[in-house]
Amino acid sequence: MSEATPDGAILSASRVSKSFGEIPVLFSIDFDVRPGEVHAIIGENGAGKSTLIKILSGFEQPTSGSIIYDGDRAVLPPNGEAEARGIVLIHQELNLAEHLSVTDSIFLGRELHRYGLLDLKTMRERARAILDRLDVRVDPDARISSLSVADKQMVEIAKAINRDARVLIMDEPTAVLSVAETKTLFEQIRRLTEQGVAIVFISHKLDEIMALANRVTVLRDGQLIATMNTSALTPDSIAQMMVGRELSNLYPPKKEPDVDAPVVLSVRGLSAPGISNVSFDLRGGEILGFAGLIGSGRTAVAEAVVGLVVPEEGEISLNGQPVAFSDVRESLAAGLAYMTKDRKGRGLLLNMGLEPNLTLATLPKHRRGGFLTASSEHQALERAVRRFDIRARDPSVGVGQLSGGNQQKLLLAKCMESDPDIVIMDEPTRGIDVGTKQQIYHIIAALAAEGKSVIVISSEMQEVIGLSHRVLVMREGRMAGLLEGAEINEAEIMRYAAGVKQGEVS
Amino acid sequence: MSLASAGTDRLRGMRIDLKTAGPLVALILLCVLGYSLNPLFLAEGNVSNLLTRSAFIGIIAVGATFVITAGGIDLSVGSMAAFIAGMMIIVMNWAVESMGVSVGTVLLGIGCSLILGIGAGFINGFLTTKGKIEAFIVTLGTMGIYRSLITYFANGGTLSLDSDARQIYRPIYYDSLLGIPIPVWVFIVVALIGWVLMNRTAFGRYCMAIGSSEHVARYSAIKVDRVRTITYILQGLCVSLATIIYVPRLGSASSATGVLWELEAIAAVIIGGTVLKGGYGRIGGTVIGALILTAIGNILNLTEIISNYLNGAVQGVIIIAAVYLQRGSFRAGRKKTPAQ
Amino acid sequence: MFLKQVTLALTATTVLAGAAMAQDEQVRIGVSIPAATHGWAGGLNWHAQEAESRIEAQYDNIDIVLVTADSPGDQASDIEDLISVQQIDALVVLPFESDPLVEPVRQAKEAGAFITVVDRGLPDTSIQDVYVAGNNSELGSVSADYMMSRLSEGDNIVILRGIPTVIDTERFDAFMAGIEGSGINVLDDEFANWNRDDGFEVMQDFLSRFPDIDAVWAQDDDIAMGVVEAIRQAGREDEMFVVGGAGMKDVIQGIMEGNELIPVDVLYPPAMIATAMDITVANFTSNGPVQGEYILGAPLITQENAEQFYYPDSPF
Repeated sequence: MSEATPDGAILSASRVSKSFGEIPVLFSIDFDVRPGEVHAIIGENGAGKSTLIKILSGFEQPTSGSIIYDGDRAVLPPNGEAEARGIVLIHQELNLAEHLSVTDSIFLGRELHRYGLLDLKTMRERARAILDRLDVRVDPDARISSLSVADKQMVEIAKAINRDARVLIMDEPTAVLSVAETKTLFEQIRRLTEQGVAIVFISHKLDEIMALANRVTVLRDGQLIATMNTSALTPDSIAQMMVGRELSNLYPPKKEPDVDAPVVLSVRGLSAPGISNVSFDLRGGEILGFAGLIGSGRTAVAEAVVGLVVPEEGEISLNGQPVAFSDVRESLAAGLAYMTKDRKGRGLLLNMGLEPNLTLATLPKHRRGGFLTASSEHQALERAVRRFDIRARDPSVGVGQLSGGNQQKLLLAKCMESDPDIVIMDEPTRGIDVGTKQQIYHIIAALAAEGKSVIVISSEMQEVIGLSHRVLVMREGRMAGLLEGAEINEAEIMRYAAGVKQGEVS
Repeated sequence: MSLASAGTDRLRGMRIDLKTAGPLVALILLCVLGYSLNPLFLAEGNVSNLLTRSAFIGIIAVGATFVITAGGIDLSVGSMAAFIAGMMIIVMNWAVESMGVSVGTVLLGIGCSLILGIGAGFINGFLTTKGKIEAFIVTLGTMGIYRSLITYFANGGTLSLDSDARQIYRPIYYDSLLGIPIPVWVFIVVALIGWVLMNRTAFGRYCMAIGSSEHVARYSAIKVDRVRTITYILQGLCVSLATIIYVPRLGSASSATGVLWELEAIAAVIIGGTVLKGGYGRIGGTVIGALILTAIGNILNLTEIISNYLNGAVQGVIIIAAVYLQRGSFRAGRKKTPAQ
Repeated sequence: MFLKQVTLALTATTVLAGAAMAQDEQVRIGVSIPAATHGWAGGLNWHAQEAESRIEAQYDNIDIVLVTADSPGDQASDIEDLISVQQIDALVVLPFESDPLVEPVRQAKEAGAFITVVDRGLPDTSIQDVYVAGNNSELGSVSADYMMSRLSEGDNIVILRGIPTVIDTERFDAFMAGIEGSGINVLDDEFANWNRDDGFEVMQDFLSRFPDIDAVWAQDDDIAMGVVEAIRQAGREDEMFVVGGAGMKDVIQGIMEGNELIPVDVLYPPAMIATAMDITVANFTSNGPVQGEYILGAPLITQENAEQFYYPDSPF
């Protein structure tokens, strides 16, 4: 069996297959990346992207097939030896110790010593040099926990540079970044490729891939569909390859809401940590979009409304009645549900199965005489699985094992278990594939059509535009503008979000 | 693949069995070992002694299972037991002096114990939740406080229950009902109630949720502080029940009472398969854990082949082996689960 | 309290010759003992406090500083403080453990303090001026003599030991040597950690193991109390008797009342700390020499002599 390395590749996988127990997840994949190139991997959730990059970086061993690094067949052990040899994986959930400083993190495991002690001065100087080279304004002594997600990402990249990475593998680095932050990241990536670093890049955002990648590999259901030069592709053609079918109507048609529908949620002059003087109305059957840059205070508004944070000032009324929720239990009972954007940290218990997660917020519903009834919970799960098309091989396995899309659908199902009249969805499609996105969009539209009211907080402008009847734009904790009808377009939202335009507040 | 098929149900059943089997296998092996070293190990009298003895640690460990499952820890239980035992004796002796001896004396002592247990649990819970101090520190603090208080009240010596009151109280430890000693009945009832609470009520589910992720619990409309506080109150109640059956045994309490019970209780919980960092609790396992711990000491007393000086080493080896068996089955369960 | 006494104008009422210091000088005695973590130590603390108030009431110029420690390390720090902060003239110490406390006590000696060591001896005896101790070997041999007086060849006994330490080993070895050749059969021995609960559980297991037991040597009264409960539970009170040790008031009361289950006790009194304190005081107040070793006897306490060993106010 030949194991010829494709021309010029620094790292390649040859006929790599992987099974977990009985279940195959990758089928005979060929993949390679060359120095100075960005090679994107794209596919729906569960297509095998994560498994492939884990194999490329040594965290998983292939069931069959081989890895060729630098011209030699290599066995990459999962103990960090791959990293020592120049293959660095930046995980989707960044792997930084929150309590260490930036310098400590960059040198973690590669500390410099002098006379047997840590050479703090040199390490700090080198860290600063690397950060300067990346054009990142981060204090080398700052604690990781004090940094924004984007800065943490930069620290990860700085760490990779410090390890003289020859292959840098990034798992959805832009999922949590704003537009501006994404731009900076891409500049860094281009700089690295100029220095001959090979980049493997996973993303769900087709426009990013078109902008950044030299080549694209499309995976579907563990199969290699194609590896092509980006120049030969269009976003549409990539999307088609991913899902294997024509993707039309990503967003369902908007049904105009009844202008006479009653106001179900009214917020006046709401101030809380991170936000001040926010006012808006939400009508029955309406989808209200919340747009703005990351950190503009959209989540803080939602958390203040549902009682996760105690508002400092302002009034909230539900169906005309003033309310002041002091915890989620009260707002949930009043028919108001909030779906967090942090599905792994705040939304789901990753070590538990589907059922306990689904019913966690609504357990009292499944009680009879003080005791939980298993059959009632089973039925709830069956209903949710049908309604939201949740796919799990084994419902008792921890949901941390599910793909992002299925986790998100489960979270949505959990949120809808309380049968709320008003749903606030924070980043409902973050980090999930196009097919699942489309499903979620249709669910949101269907909810509105039933007369429920939905607030969609999203950093994906297309999403806000495609779904919302009205769009509230936030900037630095305040309302920057409220857009309706034809005003709802990318340019207008951006103007308000970036502070070019300041609108009247309704 | 679709959900809730017969196949997945069968798979789930198998995994739970494996998890249970670890500690149970360890206990059975221990029993076989005990019997082979001295056949008297399985004699009726010895089994009865062993079960009665395991009741103290077992009852306390049932409470500890809730605390640990909800991500907490309670180091104060041993001192708390000594303190409650001492206060019971003081109150009962006082009652005997002022009112004479009757069943009421003992009931008064029991009432005093329940109030103190619940109160002490509440204090631990309140300080950890509202005071926002780590449970380890709070209970380390109360551990020292209760231990000092019992030493103070006993004047550094031993508090002894009035002998007439003892005669009335004695049967609670020494008598049997349907051939089963009363402390064992208490243990059985506490364990059953604990099992139902953990597995069949929203409260148990909330404990696991909070132990897995406090954030998720809060975002899921769970009153985290209240549930946490209740776990400590349950722990206090369990300590109180254990003390109620402990006092009639020797009729005395001193600063040496209940030393290291907290570690034994925590060990029983962990041997039983509950995860120390929280999120997953097993009452049945805890019961087995308590039996394993007691059986080790019993077997060592029944045999001569192991040097007395090595008792601690034998205990250590068996505890580690028991946990290894239980973790081994965890791994077998996990291997079946593919990522993504 | 200490400061107040320093400022007191003291006049000598008696003139003593030969004493290390004249009585018009202020004398400060540091007493360092383990904390009251078990019954015997509780008694130790009680007797130390009693002696402190008695001595301070008797002598205006003597000031006693009593400190208790939870561990050998703790005790070492206590002694350092006594030397540097309290500037003691004498140290009475009952060491938690012998070896770790040699250096702290030597420092006190070098600082000029008179050293009285109690109960657990230091390996370097040149440090101490006075050594006061109970007699663990005698406790073992007296117990053995009593056993032999009541038992005959072929009778069976079980032994509950304390915590594996020198004290326990001395008692055990002397006991075993004492019964050697008597034909008394030791069925088994187990550690019960000088603890009632452990005494109860170990005895329960002995009772299920051995159908014929004629006597129990518990060598400690706390253990003996647990043993008695186990025997009562098994309903085998008439078969055997128990010999403890130390002189706990409950046990002595029982002996005075003619208890047949614990008919005797062997003295190992926590009051020895008071003896040591008195001898130390005598070094400053008496004209007689006090240096040397004081080994207290371990007499057998029987119904006849029990009353003189009974301290109803002591917690032990």
